[in-house]
Amino acid sequence: MANINWRTINIDALDPESSYNFDLSTLTPAVQPVSTADVQTLTGQIRQLLRGGDASGALQGALENAPYGADEQGKAAHLSVVTECLNQIRQAEMTPLLQRMYKAEGGSELCDTLMKYLYKGMSQGTDTPTRNHAGAKSMTPQATGGFSQAGGRNFGGTEGGGQAMSVFLSWHEKLVEMVGPGSIVRVMSDRRTV
Amino acid sequence: MSQSLRPYLSCVRSTLTAALSLSNFASQAAERHNVPEIEAASSPELLLNPLTVSRNAEERVLVEPSVNSVRVSIRIKQADEIEHILVHKFTRFLTQRAEAFFILRRKAVPGYDISFLITNLHTEEMLKHKLVDFIIEFMEEVDKEISEMKLFLNARARFVAESFLTPFD
Amino acid sequence: MAAPQVHHLFHAPVADHSFSADRQTLAVARDTSISLYTRPSPTSPTFTPTASLRGHDKTITGVDIAPRSGRIVTCSQDRNAYVWEASPTGEWKPTLVLLRINRAATGVRWSPSEAKFAVGSGARIIAVCYFEADNDWWVSKHVKKPLRSTVTAIAWHPNSVLLAAGSTDGHARVFSAFIKGTDARPEASVWGERLPFGTVCGEYLNPTAGWVHDVAFSPSGNALAYCAHDSTVTVVYPSAPDQPPSAIISIPTQLLPFTSILWSSETEILAAGYDCGVYRFSGPEWRLSGTLDTVAAAGGGGEQREESALNMFRNMDLKGRSGGGGSGGDDTRLKTVHQNSISTLRAYEGGDGEEVTRISTGGVDGRVVVWTL
Repeated sequence: MANINWRTINIDALDPESSYNFDLSTLTPAVQPVSTADVQTLTGQIRQLLRGGDASGALQGALENAPYGADEQGKAAHLSVVTECLNQIRQAEMTPLLQRMYKAEGGSELCDTLMKYLYKGMSQGTDTPTRNHAGAKSMTPQATGGFSQAGGRNFGGTEGGGQAMSVFLSWHEKLVEMVGPGSIVRVMSDRRTV
Repeated sequence: MSQSLRPYLSCVRSTLTAALSLSNFASQAAERHNVPEIEAASSPELLLNPLTVSRNAEERVLVEPSVNSVRVSIRIKQADEIEHILVHKFTRFLTQRAEAFFILRRKAVPGYDISFLITNLHTEEMLKHKLVDFIIEFMEEVDKEISEMKLFLNARARFVAESFLTPFD
Repeated sequence: MAAPQVHHLFHAPVADHSFSADRQTLAVARDTSISLYTRPSPTSPTFTPTASLRGHDKTITGVDIAPRSGRIVTCSQDRNAYVWEASPTGEWKPTLVLLRINRAATGVRWSPSEAKFAVGSGARIIAVCYFEADNDWWVSKHVKKPLRSTVTAIAWHPNSVLLAAGSTDGHARVFSAFIKGTDARPEASVWGERLPFGTVCGEYLNPTAGWVHDVAFSPSGNALAYCAHDSTVTVVYPSAPDQPPSAIISIPTQLLPFTSILWSSETEILAAGYDCGVYRFSGPEWRLSGTLDTVAAAGGGGEQREESALNMFRNMDLKGRSGGGGSGGDDTRLKTVHQNSISTLRAYEGGDGEEVTRISTGGVDGRVVVWTL
């Protein structure tokens, strides 16, 4: 007697021909696996560039070598280094940097990769510790409007997170102005996730 | 309006405009059926990468697109217990009337407070940019409503407490 | 550039539309039936509804009128396809086609020779149908092998043997649909020679892997263009059979994805989609060169500005809508001619070797518009 409840067996999952078992790797044939060590060396190099003061070069390097084939750790490490680059670039420099990047050869793909990192960064929320270079971004004043009864609606924990998110949001606004909704559609449909 | 609210809403607007490119798609799994693929999730290639737009940990929007439907889930800012209860009651009021709402989903996606399900039928009948306008307006209004309800609640509580304690004066 | 002719037929999406060869008759897919419209007189600019072809149970997804024989083929989400022939009395007689598919049909096109037609389906099959005279019915042969997901678009090569198909598995493929007995042996081309039925002559995937919405062969048949959901238009130039193509040019756009694509000449492609407008791409270094909507937008702009102050106050009074800014004013009307996405783009004048000078577009808003290029 079988101990399995045969009524709840998902027959589609067991049928190799069914559309349930569509192999998503067929949509990303060019992605090669990348070891975490390689990602570490890459992030090290980018941090060097950052410390040297070349934030735009660092950002460009980080976007060109996005590790699509790395595992979770590698991708998270790369995301944190991209976040550092974004934090370090000042408001005024954002638009000219984006324009230069877009006009360059293969610029559209770089902008798409940047868009992917912006969304990935926003989806992390505040569970990853973000290193904010305090000198770079302006403080965003929180709404106090009619909420004074409640006391501050933002408690200490979300303060740092909100600041990081506003970086992503302002980059997103400037980027969408340049590349339009086409880039967002590409982020949605591209299976090579960061 | 906070300084980060405007870029947050414009980010949500552009994400939604991109996600609302829906088309009529008959089900691959069941013949003569036409189901919202994001809910049925029967074929992985028909679902696109979900995108999150967040202003901080408390306020985020999750957009899950697919070939013929989009699910938009909103997490409303709830700073303390009383707001938690108010948001819960407010969303319950709306979700119980989901049929009249058309694009509302009866149950919110886990982790979020309210969810919308927009299918190709909705985009055929209604204008896409107005659907997006509606969701943005909803997000703006909800915050105002919750804080207004909280103010009234506190005011009523104070009035009741005052009138209760007056005889003991 | 002449103004586009707008035919606002009804308030339901037009999944597919097709004009007869003399452009006097228009067949439009309207939910579960086909509405036939004709011009009252050959020079009249408007269409009037004449007949309605009923037979399908579910939404019709494809309509095509064969230019020479006048036969109409339709396919629908109820897994059926019908070939409609006009009888001498004016009635349209449907003949059921045995597609033998078990999912919805997504699109249908007659081959240039009109001896066969191809139907794409959600069963991951393309059914190539030809007429079998002994039994007096249309039978189908299936192309299955590399297809892994719903076929969304099909297009014939001018030689009526090669067939391009786009699918939701992100690939655009070129197959041979050679049917012994119905087709004459085709000449050798860049896609290959001596091709039995079902051979894959080419398989193309974008790195950004979006579902392919439409495919089209160039007028000479030596290049293939497809538009995908990742907002790109890709042009493939094959070099020789079994060799990597000599060039694959992918143009990422800033616009929303395109759903339909058409070569107007060897060096120009027209594409239309979710942005509700028709866009041009000019080759051979393919880039976006413009849109067909500018005339319409400019014409209405002037008058609207004068009336907008009056409208603003009227809106404030009647509807409580504060005017000006983003949400005020009457933004329920899009600036483009089509008010909702465009679903199909077809050649109206030209095509078949000549340069296309007029095109027709059918949209989700129920309009069929004829544009002059």
